Amino acid sequence: MAAAAAEATIDGGGKMIILISADGKRFEVTEAVASQSQLISNMIEDDCTENGVRLPNVDGDILTMVVDYCNMHAGDAAADGDTTKASSTEELKKFDAELVQALENPVLFKLILAANFLNIKSLLDMTCQRVADMMSGKTPEQMRETFSIENDFTPEEEAAIRQENAWAFDD
Amino acid sequence: MGMLDLMRLMSIQRQRDQERRRRQAQAPPRDGLIALRDKRKGSPCQQDSDSQGAADIEIPSLPEDIWRLIHSLMPMRDAARAACVSHSFLSSWRCHPNLNFSSEALGLSKNAYGNEELAGLFYSKVNHILKRHSGIGVKKLTIKVYSDYSGKGSSYLNNWLQIAVKPGIEELIIALTQFQAKYNFPCSLLSNGSGDSIQYLHLSNCSFHPTVTLSGLRSLTRLYLCRVRITENELGCLLSHSLALEQLEIRYCNRIVCLKVPCLLQRLISLKVFGCDKLKLIENEAPNVSIFAFQGDKTELKLGETLQIKSLCMVRSGYVYHARAELPSIMPNLESLALQSCKETAFAPKLCSKFLCLRHLSIALIGFFPAYDYLSLASYVYAAPSLETFDLDRNVQNVSIFAHPADLRSIREEQHHNLKSVTVTSFISVKSLVELTCHILESTTSLECLTLDASQTGFRCTTPGSKIGKCPPLDTDVLMEGHRGVLAIRRYIQPRVPSTVKLTVLEPCSCHSTEL
Repeated sequence: MAAAAAEATIDGGGKMIILISADGKRFEVTEAVASQSQLISNMIEDDCTENGVRLPNVDGDILTMVVDYCNMHAGDAAADGDTTKASSTEELKKFDAELVQALENPVLFKLILAANFLNIKSLLDMTCQRVADMMSGKTPEQMRETFSIENDFTPEEEAAIRQENAWAFDD
Repeated sequence: MGMLDLMRLMSIQRQRDQERRRRQAQAPPRDGLIALRDKRKGSPCQQDSDSQGAADIEIPSLPEDIWRLIHSLMPMRDAARAACVSHSFLSSWRCHPNLNFSSEALGLSKNAYGNEELAGLFYSKVNHILKRHSGIGVKKLTIKVYSDYSGKGSSYLNNWLQIAVKPGIEELIIALTQFQAKYNFPCSLLSNGSGDSIQYLHLSNCSFHPTVTLSGLRSLTRLYLCRVRITENELGCLLSHSLALEQLEIRYCNRIVCLKVPCLLQRLISLKVFGCDKLKLIENEAPNVSIFAFQGDKTELKLGETLQIKSLCMVRSGYVYHARAELPSIMPNLESLALQSCKETAFAPKLCSKFLCLRHLSIALIGFFPAYDYLSLASYVYAAPSLETFDLDRNVQNVSIFAHPADLRSIREEQHHNLKSVTVTSFISVKSLVELTCHILESTTSLECLTLDASQTGFRCTTPGSKIGKCPPLDTDVLMEGHRGVLAIRRYIQPRVPSTVKLTVLEPCSCHSTEL
């Protein structure tokens, strides 16, 4: 799917559009696959995908994952009559779990930013849930360290909020 | 490019050190990573496929609204700890949209405290949290009070609801567990605009008196009422104004005598009614109900349009006979059928009628009657050529095959080509049950799994994840039945299992050996 196509073509009845990543990689996808992105769906409606959609915020490696995800989930959005084409629910769950679990934090965050920019709600929810799961069970110090979050509290402020939420620390 | 600039702005060296420390602390799931990369040979992803390169990628910073989304997805205690991470998390905590107040969520162990003490701690913790919450942006509010409910609780609950239930709320779950709790749900709460946004309302063990002034809940898609004191007029009024409703479930609401589901509810697809003792009639006029579940013996059911019903669950005496006799013509499109009966006066009849779409069948015979012929249930299997799974649970007394070890009966039927999985729970040595099992084995070409559970208990200490150290005690008679069941399986069934079928036999747990 990463193959670059010179022109949008008609293939199997679905109109194709071309997505171009920040580093110039080109991805050819059907309109149905691409419309899972609300951003691109709006662009399709406004008829401005003719010369390919440039995505200056999304690197090629991240866009590969996004396109894989959208290809896999294209059945979700399709009319519910056609169950043959849609991937089975278990298959999808497995694919989703493998997709996010294998990612290093920096890649995961870039994927979140891409899902946010492209406005793909299900992908955003899934990737954010992954971060939420990774934060669960950790102390504030571990959370900061894992995700490089700066501690901007004064020692007094921090003591106060820890005191207020002491119930969440005892076992 | 914006993101790169941002990354350069960060103190790069510090982040690298942190990144390395993190890496040492938690080894990444390498297998998955490699597998993922292998799949993408030739894709742009290859460029960071050596781990040295990946280690140098800095974590991009996420905008605050994304951190808020992540924060909202965390369970209560984790979210409260995250509030101590930074100012931004703290302000996100002040309007945390998902408030879950239950003993578990607050980390209150039921074993560590007495009932009264637990109640006191629960009220004070919830108070403590809500007092500091801005009351803005709550989308889901769950309050589960397991402890004894006192009059004092009423004013607490009302206060909490006043703080957290505002326009924009989507889910409200109030579960009080003490039977006949005297709490009266304040309907006025929903007339301040919250009623426009609420999508799921779940109430248990309280009174609920919606009035005409509560002019319907226009976004409500799910309504669940359990042991709620509500009259049929009040419920009727609410239903006829809640036109978005998709799922309605009513359990043990004993003031309802007649349940009328109006045809205005065009979107209603799931209707479930369990154990409402006073209920005499259900009259459904909603045209698109495809899932119906009901428990009760005496209620008259007028289900209206039944052609589109795909899933039926019935807990009703005599229904194993009735369903086989009547349903193929009334509900020809059934895909899933679950029946539970504690009394059958006739065996399942042999008829030509078919359940052409039925894929999942579950039958539970719970009760006492001495000579039920399980082989008659084969008539269900052969009425359903598309059947894929068949689960049978029994709990009735029958005569053992060892008492009359005469030849097993068999019936001639067409071969079944779709049934893949059969489970029999509470297996004992009753002859007709052995016959049914053998019959299915011999006439089903597609069977993959046969599970025969002779353990006679739903709770086994050996079940993965089981928290009980020892199985609950069983009567010696029941235990002996279980052992006879295993003997019958070994003697009569196992020799007939073809190599293509995976037979799983669950024997009575070894921890019962001292009880014999």
